Amino acid sequence: MLDLFFHEDTFEKCLKCNACVVNCPVSNETFDFGGPKHLGPELKRLMDNQQVIDDKRIELCTLCGNCDISCPENVHVSTLTAYAKAIHSELSGTKFRDVVLSNAEFVGKLASAFAPITNLAMGMRPVRKVMEATVGIPADRLFPKYRFNHFNRLYNKKTASTKRKVAYYVGCYATYNAPNVATSFVKVMEYNGIEVVKPEQKCCGVPMFANGQLKQGLKNANFNIQRFLEYTRQGYDVVVTCTSCTLALKKEYVSFLQTEDAKELASHVYDADEYLRVLMENGELNTNFAPREEKARYYAPCHMKAQGIGNPAMDILELIPGYEIQDTGAGCCGQCGTFGFKVEKYDVSMNIGNKLAKTVNDVNAEYTVTECGMCKNQLDQLTDQPVKHPMEILAEAYLVGDKVLANK
Amino acid sequence: MYDVIVVGQGLSGLLSAIWAKQQGKRTALAAMGTGRIIQSSGVMDSIPGTQDWQGNPIQKGAIEAFKRLTEKMGYPYKGEIENPISIVTGAGHVKKTILYPATISPIPEQGRVVIVGFDHILDFQPTFVQKNLQKARPTLMISTLTVQLRKHSQRTLTQLDAARLLDQSEVRNDCIRQIQQQMYEKNISQPDLFIFPASLGMEKWQETIEHFSTELNAKVTEAPGMPPNATAIRLHERLKKEAVQLGVRFYENTVVFGCKLDGKIIDSLIIKNGSYESVISGKEFILATGGILGGGLEQTSIGLKETALGFETNESGELLYCPSNLYPVGASNGLRVIHHGITGGVYSILSAHEAIAKIGKNPMMGGTRSA
Ligand SMILES: Cc1cc2nc3c(=O)[nH]c(=O)nc-3n(C[C@H](O)[C@H](O)[C@H](O)COP(=O)(O)OP(=O)(O)OC[C@H]3O[C@@H](n4cnc5c(N)ncnc54)[C@H](O)[C@@H]3O)c2cc1C
Ligand code: SF4
Ligand code: SF4
Ligand code: SF4
Repeated sequence: MLDLFFHEDTFEKCLKCNACVVNCPVSNETFDFGGPKHLGPELKRLMDNQQVIDDKRIELCTLCGNCDISCPENVHVSTLTAYAKAIHSELSGTKFRDVVLSNAEFVGKLASAFAPITNLAMGMRPVRKVMEATVGIPADRLFPKYRFNHFNRLYNKKTASTKRKVAYYVGCYATYNAPNVATSFVKVMEYNGIEVVKPEQKCCGVPMFANGQLKQGLKNANFNIQRFLEYTRQGYDVVVTCTSCTLALKKEYVSFLQTEDAKELASHVYDADEYLRVLMENGELNTNFAPREEKARYYAPCHMKAQGIGNPAMDILELIPGYEIQDTGAGCCGQCGTFGFKVEKYDVSMNIGNKLAKTVNDVNAEYTVTECGMCKNQLDQLTDQPVKHPMEILAEAYLVGDKVLANK
Repeated sequence: MYDVIVVGQGLSGLLSAIWAKQQGKRTALAAMGTGRIIQSSGVMDSIPGTQDWQGNPIQKGAIEAFKRLTEKMGYPYKGEIENPISIVTGAGHVKKTILYPATISPIPEQGRVVIVGFDHILDFQPTFVQKNLQKARPTLMISTLTVQLRKHSQRTLTQLDAARLLDQSEVRNDCIRQIQQQMYEKNISQPDLFIFPASLGMEKWQETIEHFSTELNAKVTEAPGMPPNATAIRLHERLKKEAVQLGVRFYENTVVFGCKLDGKIIDSLIIKNGSYESVISGKEFILATGGILGGGLEQTSIGLKETALGFETNESGELLYCPSNLYPVGASNGLRVIHHGITGGVYSILSAHEAIAKIGKNPMMGGTRSA
């Protein structure tokens, strides 16, 4: 049984200033949502005085973290809303669909094993209509493709012998849907003389937290913490290419578990571009990028913003000669992991997404760059522009740069 | 390594970051949360007075730069320091202000006005506004009415929620019909001005203002009151987007809790995001932490404490020692400027602009971006 009387006392600092509500993408789109101030600190205050309260309105929270970003009092709003979600699932039960969606890893394993069939079926209108009617996954929602040759089939290195050593947390998306991101990352590290290992790992738990499956999510968290600590204690750095996974490892594990192990691991975790920036600052970065006369736009995932690391993807991409990139300054994408795959949330998801699409299209460029696979899914559906991960661009720039060097 | 690092994202911080970046400096902004601009009325008041800048060319340049910026962002401000205008607030009080957005019109001495409220927006009560306004403007003829937004909500609606609804022309048409109907039923004559809460559209404020004034055949104004006011949120959202699009690097959800000195100047800031600690280094630093209300100063049993850099202050919150590469702006200048309770927007604009002008002149900095 989950301890529903969790300890989290930052709510006491809440001044009811509404900054979180003003910046909550869901509150701005629908009046059906109770909003972060009410379902975060206010609910927690009530619960600490009385019994546990199950508030159905919490279902609409996406755990995007914009409330945390905007709170001037440093209240851990989204930790509080995550607990409210867990309480709601515990007391009111979870839809079968949400259990499935929260198991991104299980779905990934299964779907990629039968990849050609899965992709075909997910693209077929009648199949999708049935899915909408039976499990509540909207027929119009684009589904990410699954790859038969997923990263687990491609890469299994377990030890490294270079000076800097990286333990790669791959995450479900790069494993099952976008192995190209993962292989690009390994190459980028290779060009910097760094060997990458892939420790045994489970899904970071983000989709579970978002669906109120906190207990299961924290099981995964503990598993990942133990596996990766074995590596950090041997001098490895933990590097991640998915911004939601990074945030989980850096911050969410610590806020939920509050253990020394979680904190120890967090201090070794880097976003992939952030890691390259560390190399740059130490004068270790290989900057032999082939020039690319391209203009790209950058879309910042909420979970990148929540890390408080500036904009490492742009910092690194701007080192490519001739390369131009501009931040769109767009807000939340509205896909929010599993949120946009639910029929009853589809309208809210699309309304948030349409605003984003407009801002994205306002910036004139050849393609969009973003780190998050779920944001990419929304961008693929709502804009006609290609979407790339920074690692894919960097791997190409190194590859061509190398050829140029070899021909000299 | 950044050229300029700004701490705080209130009005002072955002303006400093934008102006620094416009000068070609590699700029970062670190902040715990949003600034007090979210709670403000969105008009720029002159608190404390602008005596410090009297006759200083900075003054004119700063106001012009602010107007140019807001014009570019699609939400232009009007007004002059020498000519404060009178506006009505959401409580019906008349106050003087210096700069105001295009959604606000001055309140006349006489003539006819109609105050329009929305049924679910409890923060704005037309009859209460009328009572106070009548005291300040005895000869003004004032009528009131309340229209329905007809939206069911799971939470208390704010003026900002109403503003988002009024972006939709169907909602506006419905309101206009109700206003016309009630004016007819209550026998209210055609006024010179309609007064609304600060709710006249968000993205589509221009369309909303035009729609209402054309159909109602009179000027319309917003009367900002209890936060969140659309007047202020429009400005905040646009400033933030402008800064991001210009390429200011945001370190959000980030507490600055100390700094490292290199001799007598600041070398880097020590920051924390959750339990995750790191360091960002820069050449020049702007402290825009907002004083007592913004979280930059804390009242403790032994007096005021500066929270971001860990520096000592005197009893009025001014830094005892200010390194030559540190520029306090806005309310972070201590009680000298916040003895009225708050510092107004004009002070933020002037002090931010002055800091950037000084940084621009600083020979240590050299030319444009270093990367
Ligand atoms: C209720 C209210 C109403 C107001 N109404 C008006 C009005 O009508 N007209 C007007 O002209 N002005 C008004 N003001 C004043 C105005 O909005 C600002 O308060 C004033 O301009 C000061 O702004 P600032 O940018 O200096 O500080 P703030 O807006 O207070 O910003 C402080 C920033 O610093 C950050 N910060 C603080 N400490 C740290 C730290 N240690 N680490 C990281 N970040 C930190 C905060 O998160 C925040 O982003 C009002 C203020 C309030 C509170
Ligand atoms: S932003 Fe923070 S202080 Fe303000 S209402 Fe939300 S939780 Fe409370
Ligand atoms: S996590 Fe996102 S959706 Fe949930 S309350 Fe916070 S801002 Fe709103
Ligand atoms: S956040 Fe990362 S690990 Fe977690 S489900 Fe998404 S892709 Fe998988």
